[in-house]
Amino acid sequence: MTTTLTTQRTSTRRPGGQRFLHWVAVHSLGIALGLMFALPVLFVLLTAVMTDQQALTADLWPREWRFDNFATVFEAAPMLDFFVNSVLYSVAATVGMLISSIPAAYALARLRWRGSNVGFMLVIAAMMLPPQVVAVPLYSMWADLGLTGTLWPLIVPYLVGDAFSIFLLRQFFLTIPQDYLDAARVDGCSEFRILYQVLLPMIRPGIAAAALFTFLYTWNDYFGPLLYTGTNEESWTLSLGLSMFRNTHKVDWNLTMAATVLTILPVIVLFVFAQKTFIRGITFTGVK
Amino acid sequence: MTATLTEPKQRPAAPPKPRSTGWRRRLPLLPALFFVILVTQIPFLVTVFYSFQSWNLVRPGSQHFVGLQNYVDVFADSQFRGAMLNTVVLTVVCVFVSLLLGLGLALLLDRQFLGRGVVRTLLITPFLILPAAGALLWKTSMFHPNYGLVNFVFGGNTDWLSAFPLASVMTQVVWQWTPFMMLLILAGLQGQSKEVLEAAQVDGAGRWRTFASITLPQLSRYLQLAALLGAIYIVNSFDAIYLMTQGGPGTASTNLPYYIYQRAFEGFDIGQSSAMGVIVVVLTLIVATFTLRLMFRTFDVSSGVK
Repeated sequence: MTTTLTTQRTSTRRPGGQRFLHWVAVHSLGIALGLMFALPVLFVLLTAVMTDQQALTADLWPREWRFDNFATVFEAAPMLDFFVNSVLYSVAATVGMLISSIPAAYALARLRWRGSNVGFMLVIAAMMLPPQVVAVPLYSMWADLGLTGTLWPLIVPYLVGDAFSIFLLRQFFLTIPQDYLDAARVDGCSEFRILYQVLLPMIRPGIAAAALFTFLYTWNDYFGPLLYTGTNEESWTLSLGLSMFRNTHKVDWNLTMAATVLTILPVIVLFVFAQKTFIRGITFTGVK
Repeated sequence: MTATLTEPKQRPAAPPKPRSTGWRRRLPLLPALFFVILVTQIPFLVTVFYSFQSWNLVRPGSQHFVGLQNYVDVFADSQFRGAMLNTVVLTVVCVFVSLLLGLGLALLLDRQFLGRGVVRTLLITPFLILPAAGALLWKTSMFHPNYGLVNFVFGGNTDWLSAFPLASVMTQVVWQWTPFMMLLILAGLQGQSKEVLEAAQVDGAGRWRTFASITLPQLSRYLQLAALLGAIYIVNSFDAIYLMTQGGPGTASTNLPYYIYQRAFEGFDIGQSSAMGVIVVVLTLIVATFTLRLMFRTFDVSSGVK
């Protein structure tokens, strides 16, 4: 909309030559900036299909396209296991978050008492805690339970509630007009039926956004797996596995890059499908 | 904080009904509430408790109450102060630069031009990469003294990660976060009211004037939100530092999360690392509140334009 306006204006004011220059300037700026951000990724893509010798040179373009590097990665490291662990962690955490955080968010949105704002602030504060701060007591607890080296210490916290998701969902609950709730109450709905049958369908975008956020955060998580799965390679997720892969295959640059490409793909696919939801989700958290 | 956290307009005072019945109806929700407050707060309370103990795992049985001694030690620790400074520099610079770049890119993407979709996709990619992969990517393919793209472009064989450790880490973080800022700001731009822009044009406002007096104030909430979310994550930066520089050389690029991690899980000093954690939380809250107040004021001056 802005665009159409501006173009109209320029066309009335500027002579043709200047308009063309303007057009060129905008395009080249766009392409240059786009390239600047994409260059590292393109570089990785190209290196991933080079031979191992060529990968160690400053060449940018592969002389020989070795697409079998991607297959070799699967032989060199249990990439598939890493992938399964990542999916397991992310999916279980996301589902667990939904089960635990929806009621909590609803409670925070609907229950008003004298200290309700304090309660809310506490949740926000928890959201801002660096994970390293509370890692010590949590780690010793999981070690006592004998569960370090597994994925459980990563997943269980989401089963009891995730501060960021609670915050996000609460913002969505607050947008629902009170009238709907009153109507449902008059009809004799219990508080839980109101939640599950009336409200949930109405905040579907919020649920999708919270799920997407949790999925991305856990998928990207490096500190958690590093701390809790430690030396037990069987529980490694992709991000941890990738960094370890680099340590053991230091010379095989092409393979390291191919492994990197493999970790990027699933998220790009997910994002292409969920782009709208994601943007609506982030803007909703605070702007409404 | 005000802007982001204030709730949508308070509902007009709830229909007067006896409080007690309202509470009885809502009783089933209470456990969820207590539960979430407990779960989010217990680990922090335990950390506070540990911070008053002298406790090193290397010396079993050494645990005893020392009051504020840990805090005194931590503040006397020059490495801690260095890490604190690094954290502040890293967070402020990265949030600011990526916000600025994001704003520029969003303004660009808000126009119509050939290949816009492709450019947008290219720009978003850094955000979709595993941060761990991104950090490794920059360490190897960009900053490597022999094979890195940076030296390939600029010549020379600088070892960027040891010569400019913090700046290198910040470059990676900015690269990773700019697309996020851009997405948010773009959403704000596209939500602008068309009528106002048209009115400005009719009134003869130039392009710059329109941007400064209409677009920017309308964007201020989006900018604040982007800054807040960015700051929350960037303050906690761990992957980039752990994977790119290991906090080094020396402690040149150590930030607080990394330093706490080192003290707790490599130095086994539970007491002191807990004290550092508590300090970090308090500082984060202060800085976040302060920054957002400041931004709010800066952008709100001209919000007379509806």
